[in-house]
Amino acid sequence: MDTLDQDSTQLAPSEELMSNTGAAIPPTDLLDLPGRTTPIRGMAVTTKEIDNWLQRKEPASPFQESLQRLRRDMRAMISLGILAFLVILALVGPPIYRQIGGSYQSDLAGPIGPSIYHDYAHQELSKQDQGPSAQYWLGTDNLGRDLLARLMQGLLISLIVALLVEVVDVVLGVTVGVLAGFYGGWIDQLLARFTDLIFAFPGLLFVILLTGIFGTSADDFFGKMPLLGPFLGNGNARLVLVSLALALVVWPLMARYVRGQTLQIKQQQFVEAARTAGTSDARIIMRHIIPNLFSIVFIASTLNVAGTIIGEAGISLLGLGVQPPGSSLGLMISDTLDLVETHPWEVLFPTIILTMIVLAISFIGDGLRDAFDPRSKD
Amino acid sequence: MIPFLVKRFIGLLFVVLGVTFITFILGYFSPSDPIREMMGEHFNAQLYAQLKHSYGFDLPWYQQYYHFLAHFVQLNFGTSFHYQNRAVWDILKDGVPISLELATWGTLITLLIGIPIGIFSAVKANTWIDTTNMGIALILYALPSFIIAVFAQTIIVWLNTNTGAQWPVSDWGNSWQYTWSDLQHKIVPIAVYATTGYAYFSRLARTSMLEVLRQDYVRTARAKGLREHIVIFNHALRNAMIPLITVIGLLIGTLVAGSFFIERIFNIQGIAAISVSSIFQRDYPVIQATTVLLAIGVVAGNLISDLLYSVIDPRIKAE
Repeated sequence: MDTLDQDSTQLAPSEELMSNTGAAIPPTDLLDLPGRTTPIRGMAVTTKEIDNWLQRKEPASPFQESLQRLRRDMRAMISLGILAFLVILALVGPPIYRQIGGSYQSDLAGPIGPSIYHDYAHQELSKQDQGPSAQYWLGTDNLGRDLLARLMQGLLISLIVALLVEVVDVVLGVTVGVLAGFYGGWIDQLLARFTDLIFAFPGLLFVILLTGIFGTSADDFFGKMPLLGPFLGNGNARLVLVSLALALVVWPLMARYVRGQTLQIKQQQFVEAARTAGTSDARIIMRHIIPNLFSIVFIASTLNVAGTIIGEAGISLLGLGVQPPGSSLGLMISDTLDLVETHPWEVLFPTIILTMIVLAISFIGDGLRDAFDPRSKD
Repeated sequence: MIPFLVKRFIGLLFVVLGVTFITFILGYFSPSDPIREMMGEHFNAQLYAQLKHSYGFDLPWYQQYYHFLAHFVQLNFGTSFHYQNRAVWDILKDGVPISLELATWGTLITLLIGIPIGIFSAVKANTWIDTTNMGIALILYALPSFIIAVFAQTIIVWLNTNTGAQWPVSDWGNSWQYTWSDLQHKIVPIAVYATTGYAYFSRLARTSMLEVLRQDYVRTARAKGLREHIVIFNHALRNAMIPLITVIGLLIGTLVAGSFFIERIFNIQGIAAISVSSIFQRDYPVIQATTVLLAIGVVAGNLISDLLYSVIDPRIKAE
């Protein structure tokens, strides 16, 4: 559905590329090469030319060609850089930030080091709504919490949710989609009805309903889980529920894509050949169909990540996602929304970070689609 | 045309049934006990059983669901748990006109601005006008409405501090009234509400128009020497509209989801805001009523787009 007309200009280099590396150039080209001994048609070519011909580069595989197309897409490449920066910031930022800064005499907590006042949950109540300073690089919010620390934590939450949702989305979507496409029948019917329902019913409404009704009990349940429990403190337990709810809403779309692609692959001759050779259904699915789904699944899930991050932020914005003192970009927006008239930067920081990550992922997704599935733009 | 509509209508009825069932079953399996919460410290077993009976919670689930549906058909949404003695409709009745007003203006602006701009972009394809339009639409399409809302708010705050204007950043005026103060409150939320749909529709309108302009009959019309505006308005436009109309139903769904955030950020007491606060109050009858009402809104949108579709596309009439 991407409609920019630069698409048509992007097609041209790929054709040129094929003829350069494709090497399927007919030998007529060879006849015009300098150093040709006899002008007579036929096989009269020098050994050097034969060497050249034999040592020609392997034609680029479709995958490599797609990567080359992707590399030429400036917008996608810049977005990739921004995304990489944000991911690194979320992963290594907090531990480093907690080391930076000297000890500080807090009015309420006595002398504390940066490992405490640069923690995203620490409230320094005597330093509310401060602007950026050497101690608090981006200032503090209305409870005296460090905005930079909260931003990095919120970013981490966004990425974790995106990862969780995509794992469920891909596993469920591919399994159901392949089965529906390969066997048809009742599973196909069920999938069709289910996707109809999901498409007609705004998915977010369902997520809101689910997190709203089961939110508090999910906090208890996931918080007490033996292995995960400790990671899910600070109001993060509800993330698991939010992720599951978001995944439940998105997988039918993935399944529908996969189903369509499976139907196409099933018609191909190599599947027919495999079947004639007596290959079992399970082996055809695992060896012949699933590997060919890679690009469509990859593109669809990248495009979906942006939606997931928006979804989590939105749910937290409504107060149904991450609970305080935990942090999430949506929760930060919600916390600082009332201060927009006095301290507008506090609500701007998380919004800008969210804008960056959403745009970056959307542009990467668009770039991937243009590179791996050039026909989709026609 | 009639068989097509009947078929679609049955499909949508299935969706409404599915939605009511999901809403009901989520409430049924909800971990909290509304009656126990309602009684609080004054718990006594006999009164508990009595209340449970009067709300019908002692029945098996299919009977409860039947009652739920039967009441719904009569537009009886029951009594609130949180505000005892208040009918659900009484809680919702202030919110419905506000949300409806927001949605109406949002849809109108989306369509009346988005489609012409998309068509214009297609006519001027690959000029700077087109590139700028589509660049803006691309960004607006990728961003959710709440991000745009926050940016809009901060811009207003910035303008207020720099020009001394007193433009409000939150609340909604009187619904369906348009004095200057009401307008001031309403313009920004409606504009933000319309952006996501605007971006989607202008992009789609552009693609669809470009597609039609490539067709042979358009070339024929041009070769005949018809003037360009006749080619565009009489020959191309009608066909370019077909794909747009099919997605109006989808637009309603996006708008409903967006209304949750717009109402939260601009502090508007519409049906979505009521729905969220009733979630915090565990007021299931209100939650169920708002969810089903919003879903019916979406389904009605789908039905309207089917109707328009059959009006504009003669192939469906012929069937």
